[in-house]
Amino acid sequence: MSRKGRPDGRKRQVSQSLREYARGLAGGLLFSLPLLYTMEVWWAGFTARPPRLLGYFLVGFLLLFAYNRYSGLRRDASWLEVAFEAFEEMGLGLLLSALMLWLLGQIQTDMTMSEIVGKVVVEGVTAAIGISVGSAQLGGSGNGDDDQGMGGGKGEKDEPDTGLAAQIALAACGAILFASNVAPTEEIVMIAAEASRWKVLGLSLISLGLCALVLFHSGFRGSDELIPKKDQGWIAMLSRTAMNYAVALAASAFILWFFGRFTGMSAAACLAQTVVLGVAGALGASAGRLLLQSPSS
Amino acid sequence: MSRVEKNRLEWAVFGLGLLLVLGVVGFLVWDAALGEDSPPDLAVTLGAPERRGDGWAVPVTVRNRGQETAEGARVEVVLELPDGGREEAGFDLAFAPRGSTREGWVQFLHPPATGRLTGRVTGYEKP
Repeated sequence: MSRKGRPDGRKRQVSQSLREYARGLAGGLLFSLPLLYTMEVWWAGFTARPPRLLGYFLVGFLLLFAYNRYSGLRRDASWLEVAFEAFEEMGLGLLLSALMLWLLGQIQTDMTMSEIVGKVVVEGVTAAIGISVGSAQLGGSGNGDDDQGMGGGKGEKDEPDTGLAAQIALAACGAILFASNVAPTEEIVMIAAEASRWKVLGLSLISLGLCALVLFHSGFRGSDELIPKKDQGWIAMLSRTAMNYAVALAASAFILWFFGRFTGMSAAACLAQTVVLGVAGALGASAGRLLLQSPSS
Repeated sequence: MSRVEKNRLEWAVFGLGLLLVLGVVGFLVWDAALGEDSPPDLAVTLGAPERRGDGWAVPVTVRNRGQETAEGARVEVVLELPDGGREEAGFDLAFAPRGSTREGWVQFLHPPATGRLTGRVTGYEKP
């Protein structure tokens, strides 16, 4: 997993790895527990057809990869290392969700392989991202790890990656992580169906406002280091806000599509659902995104 | 480029991860290639009646041989008695995932052995 801040080419103690895995597993549970306890998510495991599940899995894997690459913690890491980590975390995520689903009685021996794999995949993707975030961000200081703190440690302090690709990838991770907790519920469909056009517009304005507030005006942890300084002009600020909201909407639409919420719906209904879920997405893409990345100091 | 250095535990976890990821992708591709698009196809099988409480219980197995999940399938079992009488029992199945088997019971007051039992699914939703 994340050997962040570790001088390259030096193996770590097994005990250090264990500690990091433990942190990761705690993070995985922290982020995926709401999903593990939601029946709509179990259902998605068997109602989604294999191509859709495959798409979800691959997008999840890509996000995991992007998070590891761009969380600003180990700019010096090679792509290969980042890919290796993604495999470790995805494997642990799948195992963790399989174990939890079995304990919760949602995986049984008389179920078909398709059903079991489907459920594990749907839950495992979020668990894996949670594991990645957990092992990177939950490490405290003073526990004797030479790699903890994740941005500090022995490595030279890296400037956080504030490039466009990094910003989009991290915002997408945050949006998916937060929006996926409410996306599968019936409530999204219900709210979207019952809300008047003006309220949908209101929700969308609130989301935009949240993005702007969190990113620029609330002194959120890391907002100074992680949001590019050159972007403090009005136009740049607006465009940054709009970009985060756009990522949030795209992530929301993707999750809704995956959970089959767009099937047989009119374009207006799909849009309303996306905006309703977009509130959670916007929070994830702004506040969540800042929490996912350690400031360099 | 830095070299990938891992200790034994990390290599083990990586190996397991690689295996699981490739396994999942492989299975999903295989499953997608294998399953042609066919709507839910629900078949009801009835088991041997058992005496329970005041009546008789009959085990019901519902098998979905289609490639799509059926939601809210209504299972109905009819007992036609020799005297021309008729008793109905049934239940709703929340989900019948593709290729899966789900089990339930129906309860009758009359002994099923004396009459003729037929079971069928009367309807279901697309999830």
